[in-house]
Amino acid sequence: MSETKVKHADEIFKSFKMQSVSEFFKKNAAMLGYTGKLRSLTTLVHEGVTNSLDACEEARLFPDLSVFITEIGPEHYRIIMEDNASGIPLDYIPHVFGKMLAGSKAHRNIQSRGQQGIGVSGAVMYSQVSTGKPTEVVTSTGDKVINKVNIKIDVEKNAGEILSRETLKNPEKWRGTRINLEAKNLQYNRSKYGPYSYLKMTAIANPHTRILFVEPDGTKILFDRNVRVIPKNPKEMKPHPHGSSADDILSMIKNSSATRVRTFLVSDFTRVSSKKVEEIEQLSGLDLDINPKKVDWEYAEKLVTAIKQITFMAPPTEGLIPIGADSVRLGLEGILAPEFVHTVTRSPQTYHGGIAFIVEAGIAYGGGAGNNGLDIIRYANRTPLIFDQGGCCITEAAKSIEWKRYGVKDDSAPLTIFVNLVSTHIPYTSAGKQAIATEEEIFNEIRFALMDAGRALSRYLSGKRRASEKLTKKKTLLRYVIETSNALGSLVKADDNSKIIKALTDIVEKKYDFEEANGDEEVTIVSDENGVEEVSENGD
Amino acid sequence: MAIKPSQDVPSILGKFGEELYEQIMKEESPSIKIPLRGKSNVFFDDNEKVIQLGDKFSKRHFLNVAHTKKFMQTVLVASYCRRLVEENKHAGIRELYYALKHTVEGSKENTFDDQAESNPIIEDIETALDILREELNLTADRRGYIYGDIVLKDGEDEFNASKLGRGGWAVPGTVEEIDFLNVNAEYILVIETAAMCDRLIEEKFAQANNALLVACQGQAPRGIRRLINRLHNEKKLPVYVFTDGDPYGWYIYSTIKQGSMNLAYLSRRLGVPDAKFIGMTMDDIEDYELQKVTEKLKDMDKKRINEIMEYEWFKNKDWQEQMKKCLKLGVRIEQQALANKSLEFVAEEYLPQKIENQVFLP
Repeated sequence: MSETKVKHADEIFKSFKMQSVSEFFKKNAAMLGYTGKLRSLTTLVHEGVTNSLDACEEARLFPDLSVFITEIGPEHYRIIMEDNASGIPLDYIPHVFGKMLAGSKAHRNIQSRGQQGIGVSGAVMYSQVSTGKPTEVVTSTGDKVINKVNIKIDVEKNAGEILSRETLKNPEKWRGTRINLEAKNLQYNRSKYGPYSYLKMTAIANPHTRILFVEPDGTKILFDRNVRVIPKNPKEMKPHPHGSSADDILSMIKNSSATRVRTFLVSDFTRVSSKKVEEIEQLSGLDLDINPKKVDWEYAEKLVTAIKQITFMAPPTEGLIPIGADSVRLGLEGILAPEFVHTVTRSPQTYHGGIAFIVEAGIAYGGGAGNNGLDIIRYANRTPLIFDQGGCCITEAAKSIEWKRYGVKDDSAPLTIFVNLVSTHIPYTSAGKQAIATEEEIFNEIRFALMDAGRALSRYLSGKRRASEKLTKKKTLLRYVIETSNALGSLVKADDNSKIIKALTDIVEKKYDFEEANGDEEVTIVSDENGVEEVSENGD
Repeated sequence: MAIKPSQDVPSILGKFGEELYEQIMKEESPSIKIPLRGKSNVFFDDNEKVIQLGDKFSKRHFLNVAHTKKFMQTVLVASYCRRLVEENKHAGIRELYYALKHTVEGSKENTFDDQAESNPIIEDIETALDILREELNLTADRRGYIYGDIVLKDGEDEFNASKLGRGGWAVPGTVEEIDFLNVNAEYILVIETAAMCDRLIEEKFAQANNALLVACQGQAPRGIRRLINRLHNEKKLPVYVFTDGDPYGWYIYSTIKQGSMNLAYLSRRLGVPDAKFIGMTMDDIEDYELQKVTEKLKDMDKKRINEIMEYEWFKNKDWQEQMKKCLKLGVRIEQQALANKSLEFVAEEYLPQKIENQVFLP
């Protein structure tokens, strides 16, 4: 104890400096997905792709994306990503690519694909930090000019800084954005954590998208468009009272223009009617006619306690945009070319008493499905979750199901399990946002969805098994035709055994054709398993 | 009951084949109807005192994968037998197995993998068409022999079964054509083991007691059973059976007496309902002070006792008491345990006394 000299607060705070968000990033790159060589590369691609998909969706365009990765030195790669979205007006370029937390959705109660809100500027930052070089952005809104700029982030100011700018003619009215950056400390491979797998998963969950991908070795891969429908834009939703804490209420009040708590509750929450407000009033004993600005923590807590005891209608779900069972099916079919697919979109549910969510699940079997066995592909609002698979609610739910009961032989069965969780608020386990916390309601919904799909798989597999059994049976029967016919021919002293062979073959063929036609089981047989022959009491 | 000489075996087999042929040509699923053999389709006929076959049938379908091979085998065997009879040749059942064993055309499979597959097919044809194996010109390996003063005619040969040396005459699988020219005996003694029969031959038991000795060497084969049946019916000779005192010996006796479940369709031709059981019994152990030479029952033996106790034909007071006693003592007694008294004891005291005093079990 005596050796430790107690420091005075002044001394500690001498070294404390207000950090800009950019500096925060620099120090916390790992938390934001820039950790490990492979993962960093995947994150770079992810930021670019997500940005492009959102931009296309907002502009109601079918996304055409290209991703080129080239190796330019040891652990040193160039990444070029191009889209056909609406392009970025010149003035906004520094804002989009140079400022952290510039995302337009981060503070809204809306289903969003971009998760961090740090977005593509994080990629610019990573490039800059690892190579010292700016990022080249080429963009046009489809007008006469194409803007080509080199941009860097001023870490101190948290602002984009255009280093050089060029204006090009745009005779072909090209529209879109292309970013070109290089970064170090990267590694490329085709493992499930790499860009290939990420893009493949993205293509499955966004079947309205076409992605051209060129790998460092020059291999071109096209994940083609499989659906001709652009998903609806998610709507912003007011929070549901059951999902809100005292802290949430206080911060909502800050942005509210209501003059009385009573009106604040009705106007800023969903599903709160004036009748419900009366209930809150009675239960809490609070004066709801005070100005919301006067609400303190204690007041807010009392409000929450009262709200918890009241039943409200479930939150509206029109803000949630699932991919849709049909589109998921087309996505899985198009990308994996499996033998069998079944997809399910469950109806909306809530967790934590008020946060709406929808679970979508799909099972693909055979063909390109499965990754040498069971492959669980996870999504949150259609964005692939690549890392932290083990600690994820989706993984746990998928593994909690006894797949054997659905006719899946073993772990090596070629099975891809697809789960997309749609919600305005995805409960991630950590800031890395790669795993979903195990909320009981979500866990159960995933299970239900997978069991539903599992039953369909089971039907398919047993049908397949029956078909193959049928074929085996037919082959067995045909094997004995010649021998039996010859023996019978000699028993009846027939002139021509081939007549018997033909007739008996026809009988066998006919039996199985007939069964295939109407799917009937063999009805004339008492048992074919143990060879017990049909028994009749008195003969006939 | 002798063979119906009028039975035209080739045409019966031919007709059987033609029915199948018709079914196939009419595009019907070909099937063969076979009376079910075995426990589920036999009953004890109280009037005739033999085990009879019930009226349950099984149907063998070519189109049932579980039956197909057997179906093929049945036709193969039928076809082979027709040729045998028409060519007036005889074949052993093992010869039939080898004659028909080959690779199924267009596969790696054999028509028969084991004689255990062809034997039941023969029985299927016997029951389905009501033809005897003998009529199909099939013979079984000979087992068992007869010794005693009886003159037999087998083909060209005439001989006295007491003049063939100590081995007696080995009884063939088919005895239908054997003639009994001269019988000088008062009864037939059927003996389970050859060793005991040899003992009695050496002790001149047949001569001293005017008996025909028949060694069945375990479960009595069809030839032996048919021979005993014919001698009993045609020459009115009483039949006494002498086996080990255990469930297996007793079951040998019951087979000789009322037939077996497997060959229930032949019971009337093979069984001797009047046969009597002479020994070994559980009472013998006490009566002849054989306690020291008993063998302990194994679990399997006990299980078998419990099984045969349930058979209808063992459900009489005497036999039930025997079995209960056997279970209670937990021992079995072999025929040859009598040698404990002396080698001659069985021939000079045990058997003559029992026959004299009619100490039999029913």
